[in-house]
This record gives sequence, structure tokens and C-alpha cells, in this order.
Amino acid sequence: MNVRRVAAALSIPLAFVAGAAIAQSPETLSWLRKIQDATRNLSYSGTFVYQQGNKNETSRITRLAPADIERLEVLDGLPRELVRTRDTVRCYLPEAKVVKVEKRTADRSFPALLPDQLNALAQHYDIALGETQRIGGFTCQGVMLTPKDSLRYGYRLYADHKTGMLVRAVTVDAAGNQIEQFTFTQLSLGHVTPEMVRSRHAGANFRVEDAQAKPARLDGWTLASELPGFHKIVELTRRLGESNPVGQVVYSDGLAAVSVFIEPLPGKSEPQRPGLASMGAIHVYTRQVANHRVTVVGEAPATSVQLIGNAVEYRRPQKN
Amino acid sequence: MRERISALMDGELEGRAADEAIESLRGEGEALESWRMYHLISDGMRDTRLLSAGFAARVVQRLAAEPTVLAPGRLPGRTPAQRVAYAVAASAAAIGLVSWLAFGPQPEVPRTTIAQGPPAPAAMAPVQVQLTSAANDYLLAHQGFSPRVSLQGMVPYVRTVAERPGESNK
Repeated sequence: MNVRRVAAALSIPLAFVAGAAIAQSPETLSWLRKIQDATRNLSYSGTFVYQQGNKNETSRITRLAPADIERLEVLDGLPRELVRTRDTVRCYLPEAKVVKVEKRTADRSFPALLPDQLNALAQHYDIALGETQRIGGFTCQGVMLTPKDSLRYGYRLYADHKTGMLVRAVTVDAAGNQIEQFTFTQLSLGHVTPEMVRSRHAGANFRVEDAQAKPARLDGWTLASELPGFHKIVELTRRLGESNPVGQVVYSDGLAAVSVFIEPLPGKSEPQRPGLASMGAIHVYTRQVANHRVTVVGEAPATSVQLIGNAVEYRRPQKN
Repeated sequence: MRERISALMDGELEGRAADEAIESLRGEGEALESWRMYHLISDGMRDTRLLSAGFAARVVQRLAAEPTVLAPGRLPGRTPAQRVAYAVAASAAAIGLVSWLAFGPQPEVPRTTIAQGPPAPAAMAPVQVQLTSAANDYLLAHQGFSPRVSLQGMVPYVRTVAERPGESNK
């Protein structure tokens, strides 16, 4: 499949529409900045519902801004808890008595959306202010990000008019249908103490699985062609669970991100067809390339995830 | 002849030389024997798994039923014979080497519409599967790099730890 040709075919009709659209107003972009600043600078605690398909899952989130610590506790189904500090993300799985640890050496420099990146977003999305809605007691400003092609999803963000705190985020497909949604059902700003962001499993004797993520160059692995707008932002090696080191390359258009995982295969597995799995806005696509398993995980339409997966290729590095 | 076959495998033959070498592979001759032998050796060296009996025949059969030719569009200047050889090799690779699954053995999601329709292009159409908790390591690894985190904090991380299939759906 020729990725570029397909992508061009998908985007050309929409490009005309995009060309006719009005340039992003500074007010719209300043709302995105306001949301980002609120996410970073506010202390808050609240309960939110993640909804996709016919599933609803309730979680509690607490952030202590001065310490830059955030705690997420999933209240439905399997108990699990995530705590993010300046340096690490820890995922506690109390039933398995496992804590997965991810050092933030590779991702710390971003994903803050800098002014330049905000402007770059406008290349792929029309950004406009939407209607005002009242959600969970907050009067919210709508910010609509509509993709200019069908390679990415659209987003409808609703942020507290006063503080910029994001109260609802809806992901929609090209036709405007809802793919998934996060909504706070209860949210209080401020009044967060250090105890509230401390894991209930801190100090428990859990087995530690350290991802050992570190920046690396994956020699020989490339994309035959990049998907329009998606650029490589990081390349690293890491472990998945207790696996041997695997490669991870992340591509992003500034808002959506797609990871490509590359794992050597032991060699004796039964050959099978590529597989595609979906959960809300996330699609996972796997195929085999040069005796490696390539797994693509992305919050982008299935087509995009597959196009990236099918473009992955291995070229033996030239010896000097 | 053996040298020619070896050169063909390494992609070192061009134009008529390649055509002749490919032509010599027709029928059960010494050339074909060498072709098989060299591939066996090369597979052994790379520790590639052996293909099951009748694999080539099945590939040919499926290629015949294949509506789309996987001809790469970015290889100008090749002879038709090379192009065919390349396309055959690419299709064979796509059918033979693809391997699912990151997430362990699991049932295929029933897709009756597809089952009743004409056979899908075998090389490209992926199997629809359900995510299991085995996918969580991938999701967790991915999530930290999503720019959405800068707009939503950890909220999108709930997707890294979805329920296992079979657990209660509300």
C-alpha cells in the first residue's frame, strides 16, 4: 500500500474545506494555553467518568500542584492506582502485587504544548471556540478542534470559564460521532494535602517492574513514508513488563500520538495475520516485520494506525 | 547456474540476466533445487522458522484469489520480470511472516459479515481482536508521550488499565 498516495487521496477533498476556513484567532489559541496552564498549576481533586462504547468507568484524580504530584485511582473493576511525580510514573496493581515504574527521563522535556507547537496544531486542526455549557456546576467554554483530514480525530474540550480547568473532553470521528469521553462528575479546586496524593500502596512489598526507558537509536528501522503531520518525537529502548529491551518510536501531530513498538521474536511462533484491536480512541495494530513483532498503539483512527504499521520497514544499516 | 541463483537471491542480477535466472526456476530443475537449498541455508543462518509443508502451493493459491497486487510504487526502472518477482516475494512475506499477537491467545471477535462475504485480501486485512490486560504494558508505555497529558494531566491514563474481557461490564 502506498501510504502517501492513500493519505493524499484522503486529505485532498478536505484541504479545500480547510483552505476556506478562517485562520485561528489568538483568543482560541489562548484558551488552549489557559487549559494547559490550569492542568499544570491548579491543585484539584475530583471524580470523573471515562466512557467509550457502552462502558463507563469511574476514577478519582488528585493533583498537588506545588509538589507536581498527581494520583489516579480507578474505582471500578480491577483495583489499580497510578502516581506521577516529577521523575516517575508508578502504576500499582495490588492484586498482582506489582508496581510498574517508568522513569520520566525521556518524556519530561515535553509534552508541554509550547506556543510554536500550538501554532503548528493549526496546520492539522481547525480550532474554534464552541458554545458555553454548564457541566458539574462549572460554566464551561467549548473549544473545538476539527481535523483537516481523516487521519486524526476531532476533540471537543470544555473548560471552566474562570480557571481553565478541563471538565469534559470528547473525542469524535470525522462524522462527528463520539468515540470516547472523559467528564468530571465532581471536582473541587484547591484544598489538596500531601496525604491525598500518597499511594495507598506506598511501602507495600510489591514486585517492581522497571521499564528502564532510555533514549536510543533503533538502527535500520524506519517508516517507508511518514503519515502527513505525524513526526517522530522520540526514539527509545525500554522494557514492557518483564520483557527484554524493546524499541519504541513515537510519532505525533502535536495532539495525537502513535507509538511503534519493535520486539525481536524468538522465532518459533505460528505465523498469523496482522491483528487490530480497539478501545475508544485507541487502536492497536500488530504485524511481523523482519522477524520482529511490530505493535502500533495510537489515539488515531484505525486507518492511520494501520498505515503507520504497514509503513514500518527494516533496512540493514550500511556498514562504514 | 548456482552462482546465478545465489546472485538473484541477493538482488545482484539486473535486466535480462535476472529474467533468465527467473526463467530457469521454472520446472523441477537444478536451478530450483539450488534456490530451495540456498533459502534453507539462509533461513538456518537467520534462525527463521521453517514453513509448513505445501506452503508455496498455498501462497500461489491465495495469490490467485488476491484482488490487489502488492506492487510497490516506488521501484522505477525494473523489468516486468523483476517486478513480478518482487510482488510475489512481498505477498509471500506478508502472508507468511505476519504474526499476531502481542496479547496472547484469544478468540477472534465474530465478524459474520466478513465471514459470509468474499474472501478478504489475505495479506492486508487484519484480524479483529479484543484487547486483553496484556496490552496494558503497551498502553502505559505509550500514554506518557501523548501531548494530551499536557491538557488533561493523568486522566487519559485510565485507558492504560482497562478491564479484562469477561469482567463485569456496567
